[in-house]
Amino acid sequence: MNQVRPPRFFVKFLGWYCRDALQESILGDLEEQFDQDIEKSGINAANRRFAWNVICFFRPGIIKSFDIELNKTIYISMLINYLKYSLRNIQKHKGFSAINALSLSIGIAACLVIFLFIQDEVSFDSMHSKNVYRLCEVQSFPGTNTQKVALTMAGMGPTMTELFPEVSDFTRFWNYGNQLIKAGDKNLVVEKVVAVDTSFFNVFDFPLRYGDPIGVINQPFDAVLSVETALKLFGREDVVGEVFRSGDEQFMVRGVMEDVPGNSHLQFDMVIAISSYTRDNENFDRQFGSNYLNTYLVLNENVDLAQMATKFPDFLLENSGREDITERYKLFVQPLDEVHLRSTDIEHDYNNHRKFNGEYIRIFVLVGIFILLIASVNFMNLTTARASGRAKDVGVRKSVGAVRAQVFSQFLVESAFLAFMAFILAVLLTVIALPFLNDLIDRQLSLISFLVDPWLPLVIVGMVLLLGLLAGLYPSVYLSSFRPVVVLKGLKVYEKKSIFRSSLVVLQFSLALGMIVGTLVVVRQLMYMKNKDIGFSKDHILLVNLNEQASEHYEQIKDELLKKSTVVGVTASGQRLGNNFHQWGFKVRKDTGIVNVTPSNVFVDYNYLDIYEIKLLQGRTFSRDYATDDGLAYIINESFAKELGLDDPIGQTAGHGWYPDDSLGSIIGVVEDFNFNSLHYKVNTLSMVVHSSWGYSEMSVKLNGQNIQQGIKDVEEVYNQFVTDYPIKYEFLDDHFQQLYRSDAQMASVVTIMAILSISVGFMGLFGLASITIQRRVKEVGIRKVMGATVPDLMSLLTKNFVVLVLMSFVLAVPITYILLSQWLENFAYRITISPFTFVLGGAMSLLVALVTVSFHVIKAAYSNPIESLKYE
Amino acid sequence: MGKQFLGEFEELVLTMVMIMRDDAYGNNIVNAIKEHQDRDVNLSAVHITLYRLEEKGFVRSHMGGATQQRGGRRKRYFQVTNAGIALLREIKSSRTKLWQLIPQLQFST
Repeated sequence: MNQVRPPRFFVKFLGWYCRDALQESILGDLEEQFDQDIEKSGINAANRRFAWNVICFFRPGIIKSFDIELNKTIYISMLINYLKYSLRNIQKHKGFSAINALSLSIGIAACLVIFLFIQDEVSFDSMHSKNVYRLCEVQSFPGTNTQKVALTMAGMGPTMTELFPEVSDFTRFWNYGNQLIKAGDKNLVVEKVVAVDTSFFNVFDFPLRYGDPIGVINQPFDAVLSVETALKLFGREDVVGEVFRSGDEQFMVRGVMEDVPGNSHLQFDMVIAISSYTRDNENFDRQFGSNYLNTYLVLNENVDLAQMATKFPDFLLENSGREDITERYKLFVQPLDEVHLRSTDIEHDYNNHRKFNGEYIRIFVLVGIFILLIASVNFMNLTTARASGRAKDVGVRKSVGAVRAQVFSQFLVESAFLAFMAFILAVLLTVIALPFLNDLIDRQLSLISFLVDPWLPLVIVGMVLLLGLLAGLYPSVYLSSFRPVVVLKGLKVYEKKSIFRSSLVVLQFSLALGMIVGTLVVVRQLMYMKNKDIGFSKDHILLVNLNEQASEHYEQIKDELLKKSTVVGVTASGQRLGNNFHQWGFKVRKDTGIVNVTPSNVFVDYNYLDIYEIKLLQGRTFSRDYATDDGLAYIINESFAKELGLDDPIGQTAGHGWYPDDSLGSIIGVVEDFNFNSLHYKVNTLSMVVHSSWGYSEMSVKLNGQNIQQGIKDVEEVYNQFVTDYPIKYEFLDDHFQQLYRSDAQMASVVTIMAILSISVGFMGLFGLASITIQRRVKEVGIRKVMGATVPDLMSLLTKNFVVLVLMSFVLAVPITYILLSQWLENFAYRITISPFTFVLGGAMSLLVALVTVSFHVIKAAYSNPIESLKYE
Repeated sequence: MGKQFLGEFEELVLTMVMIMRDDAYGNNIVNAIKEHQDRDVNLSAVHITLYRLEEKGFVRSHMGGATQQRGGRRKRYFQVTNAGIALLREIKSSRTKLWQLIPQLQFST
């Protein structure tokens, strides 16, 4: 016998592709031929021929996978069978399946919405391609809180670009607010006018529809309009070369840009070359002193930010000409993609559209995962709990010949199928809920954003199926493990007290409990902020913007308004309440000499304290009777008085930082601290002063609460009498304060919704679980009843387990929730303390929900007639 | 079933199976074709043809016993079915008929 064997690789190859039925005879023939060939023409030729033959056999009719009848059809028809069976099973247990699918779909819908929300927030400023950073300062002035501000000095951008090799370009962004524009015979107030450097359209990728991005704003009086503004002003889009007037100057349109998208932190309708305003000021690009504009720097790639930051103090020392500058100012740069979400601690941040607390995004993600987790746990729990109902089914399938893998995959298919149905339901839910939600949180979210990336929907569907598979994994493993003999003999599947399942319930209820307590705390904090005595009256106060023309006529407007019965009082100020006021230098003469401090400052009308009902502690309020009260009299707040450490501040010589030491005024009064800034911040030191000639920027009209509507009409009427160029712009102080806490309020509504969702999901889970556990104990209940147990006995017996579970979840949830909530509250300078009562209330609520849920089944079982449950035995 | 036709190679293989009677299996048929017709055919072609003939019902197959040869693998033997025999006869007679139709004159010259 020949010992030489044909090449193994080809034998294997044939074995791989060849149909099983044919393999033996073919291989046999091949080997026989191989043996002949060796004798005839040697081993090499034989090998070659064998290989060639194997390749020749690789053709339809021989290859396995063409063998459709034998393989694929079985899988496909089994799959169809599984699906059909799933459908039947769902139909048979409608209520149960509905609970199962609905709870999962709520979880998925919550995640979809949260995803949309985050996608929207994260998309902020993503349209810019350059490596842009925003220059910010940390200011620590004596006599005031240290603060981060987004404002910078005019000279910083240009000098840094010159001196730092890391910085390749810069642009400044100087908000000019509303401007009255005249084009031809048309007058229009353009809302957001900004002055920027020539490089603006290079630094940022705001696309131009007309005009070349390089050179559109190179000359003084060059302007770029948004498409919308162009349409409003000229009635058409391509208006390059047109001219318009603003103030006494004539501007030329050099370009038309696309309207600024909503997800840009910079918002503007009109861009004007900064040189239009600064060409007379030769030192503008070297100016170090006051901070009033934003500076954006373009850094080279791979710049070591830490290394760069070490050079900032020297830079300030060398260029500002002030020796103490490094004590007062520190610089830092903030990447563009952090401006929107990571600026909560930055004050004087005026050009940051819809600034959002990025921390909340993390919370939302967490909440989304929580809810999905609860829902998946439910799904798993309910499926497993129904095991005994499916036991016979498994038994029959197995004895007919199904192997474990088949039973296993059947349950997996069923679970994935249910998950997919839940997904479709979730999409429907989202479509229905989105409009309401958009209203509530002031967004324009839409499911269409999912279609931006064609892969996204696929990924999501894939994840849903995966979720179904994962959630179905445990039940499938468990169910497919039943032994047919045991099950079919009619023996009940012996249920161990499933620790796994109980712990899932505990987890679920801990999450729900955490959500309830979280909602309570968040809502209470918001109520606290709304109702806290902030030290001044903000009811029925209408804030009217004073433009140039209105400011001139302020006294006349005021006099006219006071004649109306609807108006209680009128005052004015340089800045609006609700922000930190600007900080200016302030001098106080003490025994030891002049002390320089920097409190917040606001200039106000004489009657400001009266109108806002700010409480005077010492001294007197401003009065027209004293000539010195116009510019030389100061009213300070308690914090400032304490900071100064004076025994009797009244009459103390003091004045603005820029006043010569020998011509200072004096402090005439001390007021109680009031929260002029949002409650996120502590009350800063404050000095108030009257400067009647400076021109107030806002008028506060206190209206009679009886007839607000008429009051607004009166204000409009009087305003229009004196101001012809600018339309009136007003807002209620209340609304303005609500705006301040918008991010927090939105957070509260989202958390509330999520809490309700997680509770309802938990509720459904418990409902399903209770129905099953109690069903299983129906005979026990019957026997007990026959033996003389009363209904209350039975009820407490059946409820006991669930109560223990809820208590355990309480113990688990309390510490974690406490820590998370304390962290959140640290965002507020003025905050509530988390009282134990909140936890007790939350615990009681979830216990109540659990009891109500369970009681439905408990009562049914306890009152059932024992004959019904025992007659089959 | 309509009238069945065979391709040239199918006819050859079917004839061979008939000739070899109880000893018709893949490799043997290849050798026989080489011997009688001096024609090299590939084993896979023969196999495919045999399976096709089997599908059409002209041959049937069974597995033989295992031997020490061929790595202990069994042979698949083929036998012509009655339908196969009938078909071959018909082909032969139709050829003969056609031959008879050829004019004698041309044939001799």
